[in-house]
Amino acid sequence: MASRPVPDHVPPELIHNIGLIESPEFLAAPHDFMAALHDRCPPIFWSTGTQSAGWNLIKHEDAFFMLRSAEYFTNKGGTPFPRDPANPFRLLPVEADPPEHRQFRNVLDPMLSPQGILRLEHTIRKLANDLIDEVEAKGECQFDEAFGRPLPVSIFLDLMGLPQDMRDTFVEWAVDLLHATDPAVAGRAYWAICGYLEGAIEDKRKRPDDGAMSRIINGQIDGEPMSAQDVFGFTVFLFIAGLDTVFATLNNMWLWLAQNPAKRREIIARPDDIMAINEELLRRFAVTFSGRTLLKDIEMRGVRMKAGDKVMSILPACNFDPEVFPNPLSVDFDRKRKPILSFAGGVHSCMGAHLARLEIRIGLQEWLRRIPDFELKPGFTAEFRPGGVVGPEHLPLVW
Amino acid sequence: MPHITYVAHDGASQTLDITAGENVMHGALYNGVEGIVGECGGALACATCHCYIDAAWVDKVGGPASDAERDMLGSAGAEVKPESRLACQIVVSDALDGLVVHMPDRQF
Ligand code: HEM
Ligand code: FES
Repeated sequence: MASRPVPDHVPPELIHNIGLIESPEFLAAPHDFMAALHDRCPPIFWSTGTQSAGWNLIKHEDAFFMLRSAEYFTNKGGTPFPRDPANPFRLLPVEADPPEHRQFRNVLDPMLSPQGILRLEHTIRKLANDLIDEVEAKGECQFDEAFGRPLPVSIFLDLMGLPQDMRDTFVEWAVDLLHATDPAVAGRAYWAICGYLEGAIEDKRKRPDDGAMSRIINGQIDGEPMSAQDVFGFTVFLFIAGLDTVFATLNNMWLWLAQNPAKRREIIARPDDIMAINEELLRRFAVTFSGRTLLKDIEMRGVRMKAGDKVMSILPACNFDPEVFPNPLSVDFDRKRKPILSFAGGVHSCMGAHLARLEIRIGLQEWLRRIPDFELKPGFTAEFRPGGVVGPEHLPLVW
Repeated sequence: MPHITYVAHDGASQTLDITAGENVMHGALYNGVEGIVGECGGALACATCHCYIDAAWVDKVGGPASDAERDMLGSAGAEVKPESRLACQIVVSDALDGLVVHMPDRQF
């Protein structure tokens, strides 16, 4: 893919082809790479990379400004995702702008609030233990296949009110959709998911329950039932949003845990501090980015940007802003609590953030309770694949 | 249901019935009260639900519920005062029926 031409208003000294997401340097150690941007680049620069062409923000403050200024930065058309021209649905709520956006959020926010997700805690703990049961005695596993993939998929099915026996099929679809190198394979998975979800929506219309899918179907926008297209776009997006993100986060964390026995022991020794521990690990291992398009001209830190420019906050780099988190790469469970950017911020803050935190917290608790000591399979070096969600593809562990 | 009064920075106030067990941040958000943003949804991860407890209620409500709340208040956008709290950390109960909270001039 050729790079887009750099517009005339971008001063040459601000152009940095950093190779985000795709260069061998990035893929060798993505988090170290993103932390080092604070030394290598000015706080706002224009990146010419194929996947990240446009302005890049790496300061904690600047990312929050972008995320919180919906009057300047829009999400419309921000998600590169294949769509059938005959059914040009919006991915919701991510592609809606305020004030309409809030109404979509109100449909599920109560269910996904800290109180709302407590009813899932027991199920998640059981699902996590079922998965550990299958590998504990073997003394080894492919962590990504045994835990990282199936856990968030099972939880998605449970949340939506879909049958658990679809788990392996959904895992396969998710892998094909988000990781296949052959676009035909990804396309087939996409159609299979859409077809299944359409059928499931029909079924829930006839037999409503208290799951998320029924809530979306019964959701009201401006006092009117949500359109069929919006119901579909909401459901599809929940599937996409909560799988690879959790998968990559778990893989990053377990890769680190496998190599840091002292920290593992510290986590086990401090059960009461699990919330702070979880938050620090989420800061250290952020996996994704927030992209927007400028609606109006704006100047930030003396840099003039124009309407139509793409702007992307490199969220993991913002979590490594040394002005906010000194010694940013070190994992310190006693850090002063400050807002992290792993789940973004502003109106589009991750809707599944509480659920994600709960999944990861339970994963840490149950795994470390049952398999406290483990390491990487000898000879293994982690490989990261280019993509919008950063984590090792495979993770063989032994204990 | 307990009544909670939200006083905007310009002095305009709204009194609402909030279910016991809900928190003061959600009480504002679900009822369209402006002035409390609550963007992390109560994860103690954003400091955009900052409010000042009315002088008459400070003793009853008390100070920050945890070190994490105290830390996070440090990231609030507006001036932090002794009566500052994060609204998502205040659980509505019958004991707080009549609570008055004042909203700061900005949340970030
Ligand atoms: C560790 C795991 C996760 C991470 C790191 C993560 C990260 C993010 C980020 C950065 C955004 C903002 C995107 C933007 O600003 O353009 C977002 C939005 C969103 N996430 Fe998550 N997410 C995670 C898990 C989940 C889960 C489990 C769900 C499903 C329940 C979910 C549902 C959503 C939704 C619906 C949005 C769009 C919200 C809106 O536009 O208002 N996420 N997530
Ligand atoms: S809502 Fe984020 S800290 Fe209260």
